[in-house]
Amino acid sequence: MRKACRELIHYLDVTVHMFKMAVMTVIEYPSNIAGWLISNPLQFIMGFAIIKFVVESFGEINGWNYGQLAFLYGLSVISHALSMIFFVQGWFMGYYVMEGDFDRYLTRPLGVMYQFFFTNINIVGITDLIPGVLVFIYGCVKSGVTVNLLFIVQIIVTLIGATLIRGGIYILLGSTSFHTRSAVDFGQYTQEIMDKTTMYPMSMYPESMQFILTYLIPIGWISFYPAASFLGINSRYAGMMIPFITLAVGVLVMLAAGAYFNMGLRKYESAGN
Amino acid sequence: MIDVQNLCKDYVLKAKEPGLRGAIRGLVRPEHKKIHAVSDLSFHIDDGEIVGFIGPNGAGKSTTIKMMSGILTPTKGCVLIDGRDISKHRKEVVRNIGVVFGQRSQLNWDLRLGESFELLKHIYQINQSDYDRTIDDLDSILGIREIIDKPVRQMSLGQRMKGDLVASMLHSPGVLFLDEPTIGLDVSAKYALRKFIKEINKTRRTTVILTTHDLGDIQELCERLIIINNGVMMEDGRLSEIVDRIAPYKTLVVEYYDESAPEHDRCEMTEHSGNVAKYRFIKNEVTAAEIIADLSRIKTIKDVSIEEAGIDDIIKIAYGQSG
Repeated sequence: MRKACRELIHYLDVTVHMFKMAVMTVIEYPSNIAGWLISNPLQFIMGFAIIKFVVESFGEINGWNYGQLAFLYGLSVISHALSMIFFVQGWFMGYYVMEGDFDRYLTRPLGVMYQFFFTNINIVGITDLIPGVLVFIYGCVKSGVTVNLLFIVQIIVTLIGATLIRGGIYILLGSTSFHTRSAVDFGQYTQEIMDKTTMYPMSMYPESMQFILTYLIPIGWISFYPAASFLGINSRYAGMMIPFITLAVGVLVMLAAGAYFNMGLRKYESAGN
Repeated sequence: MIDVQNLCKDYVLKAKEPGLRGAIRGLVRPEHKKIHAVSDLSFHIDDGEIVGFIGPNGAGKSTTIKMMSGILTPTKGCVLIDGRDISKHRKEVVRNIGVVFGQRSQLNWDLRLGESFELLKHIYQINQSDYDRTIDDLDSILGIREIIDKPVRQMSLGQRMKGDLVASMLHSPGVLFLDEPTIGLDVSAKYALRKFIKEINKTRRTTVILTTHDLGDIQELCERLIIINNGVMMEDGRLSEIVDRIAPYKTLVVEYYDESAPEHDRCEMTEHSGNVAKYRFIKNEVTAAEIIADLSRIKTIKDVSIEEAGIDDIIKIAYGQSG
């Protein structure tokens, strides 16, 4: 127990230091962040403008009104941004495998998956966080949810779970590179699928797809079920416990991802020189 | 103390046939070919040794060193460092090893060199006073303080190598692995690197294991050589012993006043051009003095010199044995 505590403190200490280094790296190239600061928020503000246009034309989407859609969209973008900060490297894992970049992590006394993600913390992901938070707050106001301590706790739990689900999926996809030994950039496809399924009410898709997105690829838990519960919209699963189920699903996906990653790592072949 | 027991590493390759038809056949019914990159390697390395791994490209040196440093999982066999299997207890065992790859840096490209050291200080939980002492120590050998504030991306290859060496020694490991550390370095950087290796080996009793193609590295550093070819150990022993065993000859170079040169029955004339003749003889069978005495009785000698079998000869012979 004491050993586990010491280890946790060690990891936290390293994490804090890696975070500092990530900030220093961003400061080293200030013009880059200016570019991201313009393009990333714009992408999501435009995305939201489209929803606004659709709702204004048709009244609502699948029973969700404008404010409720903003709430869902914002929740989805926030967890997307968090996953970009911590897990975006999963998209590029194939390149690291091909280039033999795991060598360095394997010769250090820390978990390899931990090092892979945390030596590459992507501070720039914060630029996605800004539009997410703005649209989410707008959604909260428009849809009239009661903001109290319980709500805030539930939202935090949801976001942690949702980030873990996203991150876990990136890792699962990225880890296939250990077996295929090819570098496929899954990022774009993953992002397309995630956007289309987490930013709009999942109930608008056919039953069979909803089933898949609930049980097989548990994307539904990222934003749809939690948002429906917060907003009191009728859906397959609803209630106070939903955020905790999201968290549990997130932990499960992450555990599976970790196991698959470590399985792949044993097949890791480095790169010849 | 390192124990390598029956170490094997196989790679599975899909055999590729030519053309579209071959590609389709490979897809439908892939033929797997097993490549033995390293087969059945066993040896023991004591604390404080400097061991050089040599062998041609693709011989399995890097694969071996990567298994020894925990990067690759062996197909069979094991690597024990201080009695513990590195592939089973990776996190604990790697605390006591340092690794430098000539072609890959572990330094953070974007930041000043010192930041990479700071991170390692946290990763290895080095306390401030030990950290300062190690930096001072290594500074006196490599002059690292001159470049500690320089961003790594602006460094020359030699400076980056110095940075990588310090980075690998910060946690004072008992074993240091170097995979082709002198590759691409200029003469003075190579000199600094060799001095560094000798120094840490002497003062800190660090065990050093390196792969190299550089004859200078071998001559200057390696007390012991392990020669690998096609994944199999060809030789293991002290440099001088290996020389005696696989190249037990010397060459006597004799210059005469004209172009005719006499033969000698106890050695072999390997070359004869102009006034110069070369005689190769086995060290234990005959001495150079005897040959010179015999030859000078037949013909007047202008000048003589003796060539020892060089490391390059040894390597050529050792590589050739299985080539």
